[in-house]
Amino acid sequence: MTSDTALPPAPGAQAPAPATETQRRWARQHSIGALWETWGITAVLVVLLAASPLLSSDFLTVANLQSVLRESAYLGIVAAAMTLAVMNGTFDLSVGGQLALVSVTTLMGYAAGGTGLAVLVAVITGVACGAVNGALVTAMRVPPFVATLGMLFVFRGIAYVLTQDGPKTLPYSEIGSPFVKIGGLNVAGIPLPFLIMVAFYGAIWVLLRRTATGRRVLAFGSSPEAARFCGISVHRIRMLIFVVIGLSVGIAALTYISRVWTADGSAQDGFELRVIAAVVLGGTSLKGGKGTLIGTFSAVLLVGVLNDLLVSRGVDASYQRVVLGCVLITALAIDGLRTRFAAPGSFAHMLPRRRREAPAR
Amino acid sequence: MSPSSVDTSQAPVLEVSGLTVEFPGVRALDGVDLDIRAGEVHALVGENGAGKSTLLKVLGGVYPPSAGTVRLRGEVYAPRRPSDAHAHGIAVIYQEFTLFPDLTVAENVYAGREPHSRWSRGIRYGQMRAGCRELFGILGVNIDPDARVADLSVSEQQLVEIAKALGADGQVIVMDEPTAALSKEEVERLLDVVRRLRDEGRSVVYVSHRLEEVFAVADRATILRDGRLVRTLDITATDEDELVRLMVGRDIDSVFHREAVAEGRVVLRLDNVSAGRHLRDVSLDVRAGEVVGIGGVAGAGQAELTQAVFGALPLRAGHMELDGQRFAPSNPADALAAGVGFLHEDRKHAGILPDLSVRQNLTVTVLDRLRRGFARLLSSRAEASTYTEYASRLRVRATGPDQLISELSGGNQQKVLLARALAPGGRVLVLNEPTRGVDIGAKAEIHALINELTAGGAAVIMVSSDLPELLGTSDRVVVLSRGRIVGVLEGQDRTEENVVACATTGRRIGVAA
Ligand SMILES: Nc1ncnc2c1ncn2[C@@H]1O[C@H](COP(=O)(O)OP(=O)(O)OP(=O)(O)O)[C@@H](O)[C@H]1O
Ligand SMILES: [Mg+2]
Repeated sequence: MTSDTALPPAPGAQAPAPATETQRRWARQHSIGALWETWGITAVLVVLLAASPLLSSDFLTVANLQSVLRESAYLGIVAAAMTLAVMNGTFDLSVGGQLALVSVTTLMGYAAGGTGLAVLVAVITGVACGAVNGALVTAMRVPPFVATLGMLFVFRGIAYVLTQDGPKTLPYSEIGSPFVKIGGLNVAGIPLPFLIMVAFYGAIWVLLRRTATGRRVLAFGSSPEAARFCGISVHRIRMLIFVVIGLSVGIAALTYISRVWTADGSAQDGFELRVIAAVVLGGTSLKGGKGTLIGTFSAVLLVGVLNDLLVSRGVDASYQRVVLGCVLITALAIDGLRTRFAAPGSFAHMLPRRRREAPAR
Repeated sequence: MSPSSVDTSQAPVLEVSGLTVEFPGVRALDGVDLDIRAGEVHALVGENGAGKSTLLKVLGGVYPPSAGTVRLRGEVYAPRRPSDAHAHGIAVIYQEFTLFPDLTVAENVYAGREPHSRWSRGIRYGQMRAGCRELFGILGVNIDPDARVADLSVSEQQLVEIAKALGADGQVIVMDEPTAALSKEEVERLLDVVRRLRDEGRSVVYVSHRLEEVFAVADRATILRDGRLVRTLDITATDEDELVRLMVGRDIDSVFHREAVAEGRVVLRLDNVSAGRHLRDVSLDVRAGEVVGIGGVAGAGQAELTQAVFGALPLRAGHMELDGQRFAPSNPADALAAGVGFLHEDRKHAGILPDLSVRQNLTVTVLDRLRRGFARLLSSRAEASTYTEYASRLRVRATGPDQLISELSGGNQQKVLLARALAPGGRVLVLNEPTRGVDIGAKAEIHALINELTAGGAAVIMVSSDLPELLGTSDRVVVLSRGRIVGVLEGQDRTEENVVACATTGRRIGVAA
């Protein structure tokens, strides 16, 4: 086998027709497989948007679109940071607990010192949660899966403890506060939470594609063993990733809690899985090393639009979950079929990737 | 010709006609015709990226051809998956290993055809172990069938691959650079096995960049260049020079030249270094402009020594000095920052970053130098120029800097990794098997490059299992045995016999370090 990852996107079943020089040049630089990987889910989103008027007459109204974007933001912000983690070959299962905890502490911060303190508390709590995860994984060498699964319970537990005498809420009298504006304001018709989400994607894109750290994240995700011999330290990178995730939860919580106004330990149950589902739907491989932010971005919006369409057609909330699960599986099945048909017989995909820590033989 | 020449009048066992394989942007094979007879060893030679591995993968059912047919004993043979090849009696040893690292040697050798008991369907481990021992006996090596493959050295893994193919009992055995990782004796034994297979009437397709092996075993040779068939020749009717000319289209001086370089001051000093499981009390000076070759049987401590210098393995005892300063890298990043370049011997698992482009693979060790401006962002321009500089110097053949490295031929991947090792500055270079899998032309270029670098004052430590290369390119050969230095061979003493004697008997020759 050449390698156990990238197998060719089809040496073609039959002889292709002769191509012009421009076509050839284009073909040298692109391949259907690569294009689909980057833009596939975006294309699905566009198709769904185009078909939406048929499915629901009042989908394409300004108010409805604004609400879809506003609703998607908190999921999208965390999904961006999670994409970074998944590309690095890890993930954070504790983001649901983090979101509950940050929401609770933010409301407490608001009660104590208004908008400024609330924002500060959100960011600090988020980053602190991330740093705890990072410390467990790097200093204590707990595998990320175990560490973040454990911390999911711990964070949620703390949120429950803090709300033992009832959920924290924003009193109705605060309707005019700038804090509420974070989730409710529209700038030139575009909801602020969505603008924050776009800005966050921009920042993560720069981190991933334009900094040395981002390159190391990818390199490590592609082959941990080789990355070690390129002078890449896992610990520094993992710490950074978990802190960035914590920060993203802090920002996401602000856009979330300023809309729903109330939180306790049970807030956003199952959030972590929805985030990871969006990342995977966006085409990022759980094996690490590859993926795109635009894919995650589109996947988040796709989920949002789909949800909205289902609601407006009066589909029961329980069925919505079933539909979303099916969409995820279909997307991955298509992906699997595509690679299978691209390279028939390529069992190399199934060979386990070697991840060894031992330095020498 | 060989005793098998009686068979050559027979119809071919395997007949390839008009075979074309296209990948996006490259035509790896272009209308290739080839026939393999029963009882012959057929060598397939060509430069890196000529299409040899691709042809073998078509035979093995990994890639479907874009055009052309393969006939096996007259019938159309169109494998759709590797198990089809197996069912048709074609056993393939791929260039890049296909072993399961977490399974044992025996489980790997029998993967997919485990013997089991009739009633319980339980796997017969005893039988598998015995079978393995027998196969290893034929190859003359001693590998524990219960060892985990991930714990084996690269050469041992290669031998397991070979045993696996032999165990499959195919009529056609296809070997893609089986000897790239083997020692001299292992190669000799493998060549004996190949001859034996031929005498049993089987056919062997043999790919190697080492022409002396081709001349030692092959009956005929087919030369590929740029995916096209150049010619098929009787080996008796040709010589090395002609073969090389046909492969690369020009004359190449394949003899190693080590230009004498004025030796400078000591750059790297190891003082009683012990590291890893068995590297013990190694003291060594490497001077500016010097190439120190490290010899010995596989697993004698070469990997530990080089990794210790690179900071990838902590020292248990002793210390190192770089330019007279204490040098204690706690990880590879420290060593890179100090200008130490490193090439790992395990290209697939510890070398390439498979999901990254060729350019990203090359620049990954020097990212800090490519940051520009106030925000310290990576500069695409600086990255592109670094890539161009090294890729053209080493003649990397890729469709462009953005091609995934896993799509390159093995030898071209090796060149990219070598460039990665040179990029940090080349003050000290630690090279494990620098020319493994590269073609003759590129080998000469790499040797010239090493000459050039040492002329510029670089200090090089080179590990090579290819003895002529080790002797031809280094100024001094340090022989390791069981983690200790057992010989330092200089000048007249630098002969193959001495290295082998030192390495195997552990007899100490001229230890004066
Ligand atoms: N999966 C792939 N995707 C795209 N191109 C590929 C792929 N595999 C091989 N190629 C291209 O096909 C050509 C032939 O490659 P191949 O591996 O057959 O060379 P080779 O003769 O075995 O070389 P080497 O001696 O270096 O092993 C190369 O240009 C290579 O880049
Ligand atoms: Mg090859």
